[in-house]
Amino acid sequence: MGFLEPANLIYAASLALLVLIYLRARARPTLEVSSLILFEPVPAPVARSRILRVDLIFWLELLALCALTLAAAGLYIRRPEAAGPHRNRALVFDLGAGMGALDGRITRLEEAKRKALEIVASAPAGDEFSVIGYALDAATIRARGARREEVRTAVTGLRPLAVAARPAALRAALIDARGAAEVDLFADRMPPANVLADARPDGRVNFHLLGAPAGNLAIVALDPGVPRSSAGRCVIRNFSMRPQVCELRIDAGGKEVFHSSLIAEPRAQMIVPYGPLIGGGIVHARILTPDALAADNERYALAPSIAQAHALVMSPEAGVRDDLARIVLAINPNFIVTSADPSLFSASKIGNQRFDLAVLHDCSDDGVNAAAKLFIFPEPRLERSKRPPLLPVVGTAALAELQSREDASMLGTAVLLGPARVVELPGWMDPLARGAGVGEHNSFALAATGRNPDGEVGVISFDIRNHLLLDPDRMDALVLTIDTLRRLVAPQDLRIVSTGAFVSVPSFGRATLISPDGSRRTLIPDQWGRVRFRPLDAGRYNVIGEGGNVQVFANYYDAAESDLAAIPPPPGRPSPRLASVSVHGEFHVVPAALALAALALLFFVAESAMLTRRAARWGAGHV
Amino acid sequence: MLETRAFEPAFLQRLDGLVLGTKRARTVRAGRRNAGRVQGAGIEPENFREYAEGDDLRFLDWNAFARLDDLTIRTFRADRQVEITVMVDASASMAIPERDDKLGLALTLGAGLAYIGMSENDPVRLAAFSGRHGAHNLETTPFHRRRESYISFRPFVTGLSCGGETRLAAAAGEILLERRHPGIIIVISDFLVSAGDYEDALAQLLAARHEVKVVHVMGDQECSGSYPPGAYRVRDCETGETREVTFGPREAEACRERVEQHAERLHGFCNRRGVTYASAFGASHLDEIMAREFPRLGVIA
Repeated sequence: MGFLEPANLIYAASLALLVLIYLRARARPTLEVSSLILFEPVPAPVARSRILRVDLIFWLELLALCALTLAAAGLYIRRPEAAGPHRNRALVFDLGAGMGALDGRITRLEEAKRKALEIVASAPAGDEFSVIGYALDAATIRARGARREEVRTAVTGLRPLAVAARPAALRAALIDARGAAEVDLFADRMPPANVLADARPDGRVNFHLLGAPAGNLAIVALDPGVPRSSAGRCVIRNFSMRPQVCELRIDAGGKEVFHSSLIAEPRAQMIVPYGPLIGGGIVHARILTPDALAADNERYALAPSIAQAHALVMSPEAGVRDDLARIVLAINPNFIVTSADPSLFSASKIGNQRFDLAVLHDCSDDGVNAAAKLFIFPEPRLERSKRPPLLPVVGTAALAELQSREDASMLGTAVLLGPARVVELPGWMDPLARGAGVGEHNSFALAATGRNPDGEVGVISFDIRNHLLLDPDRMDALVLTIDTLRRLVAPQDLRIVSTGAFVSVPSFGRATLISPDGSRRTLIPDQWGRVRFRPLDAGRYNVIGEGGNVQVFANYYDAAESDLAAIPPPPGRPSPRLASVSVHGEFHVVPAALALAALALLFFVAESAMLTRRAARWGAGHV
Repeated sequence: MLETRAFEPAFLQRLDGLVLGTKRARTVRAGRRNAGRVQGAGIEPENFREYAEGDDLRFLDWNAFARLDDLTIRTFRADRQVEITVMVDASASMAIPERDDKLGLALTLGAGLAYIGMSENDPVRLAAFSGRHGAHNLETTPFHRRRESYISFRPFVTGLSCGGETRLAAAAGEILLERRHPGIIIVISDFLVSAGDYEDALAQLLAARHEVKVVHVMGDQECSGSYPPGAYRVRDCETGETREVTFGPREAEACRERVEQHAERLHGFCNRRGVTYASAFGASHLDEIMAREFPRLGVIA
């Protein structure tokens, strides 16, 4: 029993008012007499009963007011859920990278599986189980069913993923578990209380906290540097409370370029320089020292090629050309950059030279022969244009804001940009960032990349005039531009991605995906001739298709998930919020407002009947 | 305010021809040693007796001594004056109910009886008794013998106020402490005290050989119990004690019965002890009371 709106109990003051009115009405006037000898003495019990005289109308009004006050306060009763013959139970597993941490000899997920199997084994026959996992998303591993063997198989088949578990995924998992009388949640860290409150599971949530604090080393970042020019850097973080020995090995092009044992300070980050590399290619760094979590002990990076490449930068403004040329050279110093004014650009002067990269600002790509093209502030279709533009402009925004990036979700603060042109992205392009006009609600893509038969195509829809890319207050715009350029100039058969990100690989036929664990999967291309997959394990993926092999290297790192030294609350002592949710889930809340209002109405009707009766007794024609 | 009638000429004119009778003989044995101070006019011979040593030689019958040579003393039946004390209850109960004006009725009757008592030139005084602030209080006027001095009672009668408890026994004790000759004591009160209290007081006065007359004063509302119907908390004006009462026809009847019982008990006691009892119920019936009850008190025309 409780109140949904306890503040409305203030209406109970009306009871005091009614009692005051009643007492005032009942107060006897004091009459002074010459002597009490002349008046009948009344026995004490009778006197007491007169003080507490039952005035039925008063009590009816009091009860009616009580009922209305309780109804206004939202009185509810908690009714235990009726126990059916067979209970539905949900087993919800955290499949984040942290669950893959070793806790002794077994991982946390293995421990969770063991507990889950015990629950399944001890459950009465007829109980139905569903198995739900969550990390980036929630997924029902096995729908509700009573076959124990299938449940055991589903539980046994769970494996940790190299991604961080998101609260939204937990919320979705709990929503999927609705209808279960009991939810067993296995996780290595306390879920946020608001997630449980928002999900409002129907049944009781039994939280199983797994794992103990453990030390962990992780490769936070790997920068290959510029071959033959600048040294690379590897950033390593020690999440342990103690100094840790870290044996680090870095390979580039299959050759060892760094191998050393380092001492990492407790709860500190260190930067390990190496190189410069002598050539481009894949750089592979790994921590050889065994620790609790292996997923964050490897990292890949792509060193730019040392071969000379040609880049074309075209813009109507010299300042923009200069800014873009600097950025292109910063990405790869081996680029030979040619800058040109579109109005003065003549294909005959440059000849039929093929560029490795063409950066086109506010101009068309007519006559430009390049393996990769980046359109910045793409030119709308002009009347004199002979062919339709590759990226049709469907609108403009006077002032655009950068709101989100695909790999960084929502930005904390929107970045104010300059004017932008809204491009209708073709289906083969994947947006990298989104934004909207200032004061507008409809968002559009601010950056995107894709591949068509002519080569790699990228677009940045906002204008970069007035040295916008060099503005320190708009660093996100510069980073976005660099990332887009890197995607365009990256080798097509090598990809460095983060786990959990969608990867699309051109393939006009079926392709086979070989995962880091050796498993194979067939991928079906979409209408744009590409296959897509989402790497959920760290390591190398191999996509074998008709167009050749594409290697995808997936890196994993998450500061929260990798931090295994955080001391969780003792097992069996859930947070107060969680406990309250659990208790809440055991009962059905049945509001009593309607019943109380009906009761009050009944009291008032009874009072009216009494008044009518008294009026009739007194001979009054009306009440 | 009724007491102001006691000094109106019309009221006094009605009392002019009346005399307050007394059961006690107004004569004493003159010639005795202790009777000298009552000698005076109106002496009539009663008897002779032999002279005894110490007798007053002025009452020696010299003619008989000359003829018989015996010393003979003449005795006379001599008129004597009877002291009359009119005791009026001035307790708080005499003012309640206010509209009944019991104190006014008591003072009017007391003043009237005093006026009648003065017709025989008897010394008359008025006294008021009450117990205020825990101590009994008896206020008395000087004795007045002649009707010409009746007006001297006016300040006492008109200035008397009610208050305190009814301490009749204590007042009687104070009277007795004066050690005066037995006389007539008229007690005018509502006697709304315990029976033991007023019976003790009256018994003391009787024991001192006073002739006691009782005028029982009650108000109209008290007698009829005609309180407005409803629930009340009644408070005793003297003791402060309260009681929850609901007035109605049944309760009024019960109230009347209790008044009658109270009066009957007092009347019965008076009858048993030779005390003259008169009831004066209702100030509005003053003339009827005087016509009906004064003869009972020994007032004769």
